[in-house]
Amino acid sequence: MKEIATIILLPVAAGLLLLIIPEKFRIVKSVVALAISLITAYLSVVIFFDRLEPGTLGELSKGSALNFLGISLAADAGRYAILHSDHLSRLIILLSGTISLLIIIYSFIYVREMRTRNFYSWFLITTGCSAGAVFSDNLLLFIIFWGILGMTLYKLIPGNDEDSSAAAKKTLILIGASDSIMLAGIAIIWKITGSLNISEISLATDNPLTVTAFAALAIGSFTKAGAFPFHTWVPDYTQCAPASSSALLPASLDKLLGIYFLARLTSGMFIPGRWITFILLLAGAITIITAVMMALLQHNYKRLLGFHAVSQVGYMILGFALGSPLGLAAGLFHMANNAIYKTGLFLSAGSVEMRTGKNNIDDLGGLSRSMPITFICSLIFAMSISGVPPFNGFASKWMIYQGIIDFGTGPYFTNKLWIFWLGIAVLGSALTLASFIKFAGGIFLGRVRSEAEKITEVPLLMWVPAVILALACMLTGVFATGYVVPVFFMPASGTFHLPGFWNSSLVSLLVLVSILLGALIYLLTGIRRFRTEDSFTGGEKNQDETGYPAPEFYKTISEFRFFSWMYRKAENRLFDIYDLSKQSVLNISHMFSSAHTGVLPGYVIWACAGLTIMLLIMMI
Amino acid sequence: MNPLIPLFVAIPLSGAFIDMILGRFIKGFSRYFTPVIILALASMSIYSAATAGTNPSVYYVGGWEPVKGIPVGICMVMDGFSVLMLCIINIVGFLSAFYSISYIKRFTSDNFYYALFCLMTAGMNGVVLSGDLFNIFVFLEISVISAYALVAFGVEKNELEASFKYQVLGSLASFFILAGIALIYWKTKTLNIADIRETLKPGYDRPFYIFVELLILSGFGIKAAIIPFHAWLPDAHSSAPSPISAMLSGVLIKAAGIYLIIRLFFNLFEINESVAVLITTLGALSMVIGVFLAIGQWDIKRLLAYHSISQMGYVVLSVGMGMILISRGVRHEIAMLAIAGGLYHLVNHAAFKGLLFLNAGAIEYTLGTRDLKEMGGLGKSMPATSATSFIASMSISGIPPFNGFFSKIIIIIAAVMARFYFLAFLAILVSIITLASFLKFQRYAFYNREDAKVEKGIKEVPFPMVFSMVIMSLLCIILSLLAFPGIRDAILTPATDILTDPAKYKDLVIGI
Repeated sequence: MKEIATIILLPVAAGLLLLIIPEKFRIVKSVVALAISLITAYLSVVIFFDRLEPGTLGELSKGSALNFLGISLAADAGRYAILHSDHLSRLIILLSGTISLLIIIYSFIYVREMRTRNFYSWFLITTGCSAGAVFSDNLLLFIIFWGILGMTLYKLIPGNDEDSSAAAKKTLILIGASDSIMLAGIAIIWKITGSLNISEISLATDNPLTVTAFAALAIGSFTKAGAFPFHTWVPDYTQCAPASSSALLPASLDKLLGIYFLARLTSGMFIPGRWITFILLLAGAITIITAVMMALLQHNYKRLLGFHAVSQVGYMILGFALGSPLGLAAGLFHMANNAIYKTGLFLSAGSVEMRTGKNNIDDLGGLSRSMPITFICSLIFAMSISGVPPFNGFASKWMIYQGIIDFGTGPYFTNKLWIFWLGIAVLGSALTLASFIKFAGGIFLGRVRSEAEKITEVPLLMWVPAVILALACMLTGVFATGYVVPVFFMPASGTFHLPGFWNSSLVSLLVLVSILLGALIYLLTGIRRFRTEDSFTGGEKNQDETGYPAPEFYKTISEFRFFSWMYRKAENRLFDIYDLSKQSVLNISHMFSSAHTGVLPGYVIWACAGLTIMLLIMMI
Repeated sequence: MNPLIPLFVAIPLSGAFIDMILGRFIKGFSRYFTPVIILALASMSIYSAATAGTNPSVYYVGGWEPVKGIPVGICMVMDGFSVLMLCIINIVGFLSAFYSISYIKRFTSDNFYYALFCLMTAGMNGVVLSGDLFNIFVFLEISVISAYALVAFGVEKNELEASFKYQVLGSLASFFILAGIALIYWKTKTLNIADIRETLKPGYDRPFYIFVELLILSGFGIKAAIIPFHAWLPDAHSSAPSPISAMLSGVLIKAAGIYLIIRLFFNLFEINESVAVLITTLGALSMVIGVFLAIGQWDIKRLLAYHSISQMGYVVLSVGMGMILISRGVRHEIAMLAIAGGLYHLVNHAAFKGLLFLNAGAIEYTLGTRDLKEMGGLGKSMPATSATSFIASMSISGIPPFNGFFSKIIIIIAAVMARFYFLAFLAILVSIITLASFLKFQRYAFYNREDAKVEKGIKEVPFPMVFSMVIMSLLCIILSLLAFPGIRDAILTPATDILTDPAKYKDLVIGI
């Protein structure tokens, strides 16, 4: 009972305290943050496995300082401060607690190098508030925690140059705007149902008002998670922010929360109608494809990861839109997997950036010798995200495919389009693989550059979190059907049977066996003895200076006629909702400003005209 | 009866003269004396807020009590609403005066500055305490005339031009108001608000009644800078010395404009639906046009000034919605919610807009410029300014857990509950654009470049300025508590009660 209050309040209080401590005592701050994160991670495990329930505020505050000034704050606030814990929220807390612990271990050294101000304070406030958002049952309480997260996101970018300050601004504008829109949804729900408790609301989306409420709240979750068309802050943010910030918010906690809220919306607070299902599926499909297409062309690896952080959300939305327990479980499973491997990818990217100081794939290559652990981990994460069996990304994507096929049996035209949804999902997965070959190949493989020879592996505290995450990728993939899905996801979604035959452990065993067989054939037969030559072009031997940066191989895509047009528009930011609205707002602003000439008689006329017009309106 | 009531006017009024006389002989006297007396006023106002909310009181000047229900003398009324305003005026006043200790050193003749400051405070305190129209007018003129002088305090081209515009439009406003008051006096032979309410009925002569209402509305509309009467505000608020800008934007447009509109249209006139709709429309217009004007600005203080128009739009809109609901006689509790939301936003605006002007002053103090394009990278070298302005920006943009969020959410919920969906949509839209323009302010002032300390020798402003800013930012956080039901009942509910129940006001002033 007290544990849930502790997991919310302790990090927030500690974070506020650390804000006051000057930056000189960075070591003290990091140790405190580590201790607090250890406690919250432990609590999150306890809460998950012991299935703890929160008490009411009245019980918690008995005899505490909340009853001061003769005003019983607790009694009044108790109407709003309602906490609730069910399997879904405990699952999210388990993930966020453990992942933030790994990130803080990583940050121990990384943040010292990167010099982000007050990183630990905002980090702790973020973890506390995300726990608060997940456990709050009252929508007003929820939106308060949810809104604070947007602010901490803004504070976790250093912002000391034009790019990063612009990214910070864009991020908070989009997030803040979506939060404001959510207020409308909350107000409408309050008006219709007279209740603000998530667990009590169940609305059919059959009239304009409820559809508006659903749309308003869904915009909030889409923006937080980064789904089309509100995703545009994610790539900018990940490009400019330090890797530990990207790993914490856009890669894991924002995804967890946004998707958590979407799950609540689609499978609790609202009963999505046919059209809403269609729109959600469409949003998911567009998110998958557009983001991955953009990712293919990126040269900056942190920006590339940012686009993938968007693209993966599309799969989760597809899963939830299906409306079946299988779809819900698949979406949640993919959310968990995505949090694991995406965090890992950002941590690896951070390691590469710290050791080389370069952000561009073109300038990198051949790091696999000097950073072997980071390389192996990145490879595992890359295979997971691309959906290669037996890793976890495959398991959850497979469940989503099964869900879509199952969905195809329904009567409506949305169901009839199942082959389209399935095709998009598979295509997206293939393109993801393509772009991760660029990521892994461009950074770690290829010719060793001369400056790469001095580079060494990152310190222990930085690679251990990545290794743990990589192990998690493997284990959740291998034991998906036997242990992971039934224990972690089925209680949250309801029980279901997987259509078709699939056992992840058996598949993994088969993969392992085939790899072993292949190795055996390679070693025993004469395949090894082939002729080798130096690489050459048109008979000329390549000079040492010639290099083929991996991204160049992807230029072909952008040269197709239709794609080249799309990409040109995308580069001019014609599809970016932020830039579009910014331009129109500034135009209107200019229109009004040009009326203000500064000529006094004109202003006097305005005032008199105002009075006259009001008189005319009222007297007639 | 609260014995402190006359002191709210008497102390600053005599303070102004003492400043002038003693300040001439003792160097630096007025600099320290003024904050002290306004601090005294601030503590008195907090004390009154703790008592007067549930137990309002009236002070009859000279002991002239009403005879047989007819007021014969001047009365000063301290009810839930005026005590709220008193708190705002005197707390923001104290912090601005304290801030001025360092800020105003660069100007010559600071005795005049402090004397005018005291006069302005006295005028505003008088306005919110007066129970009759004539005294309201007199105190109003005291406060705005000192404001004209203070706007011109820099005596350079821009300041003088701004002050001139302000004076011309201000006298137009005074003319409207005085004409309105004269017409009322002609009809009713009385100036006491509660008494007028009894004698002046709309059924008597409806066009006359509406004409008077509109005269008063546009007069105070100019003082409150509601669109289309707003044109003086951006010049005046941006040219004044920063602590004065904080007073003008944070307090004066409320005490001299919004407060009186609300007070008169609830307690003096009978609410009718068409005027209520008109007021709501004006509020919505101010809210929307103000924010569009603000986002294009690159001068920080002009940006803040246009936001004052927009935020006052929220207040007027919300109170207007309450008036519409009351005039229709439906959903009284939602009307109360809307009015409470408006008043809450009024209080919050004083805190965050005052703070933002003080921040702008701090930046101007160190850099000597108000142009956002010439700033950048101040985040590390001015940590207190940066942190407090972040809090203020988040408050005004409605990001939790700061106070602006709570008042905006109350306004939006009230709008949705009352089925004014379009107004709710506008409120949300404006909130988003407000956020965008304050992030622009944050970005160009505090980030966007490497640390500016090394190149220019920039350091944090002196202690009095930091102190005022920190206290204001704490207020921005503490005022969030007003959203809690228990505290709201103690502070905001008395104010809405006295507004929505004119009989209560009448009983209080005239007695039985």
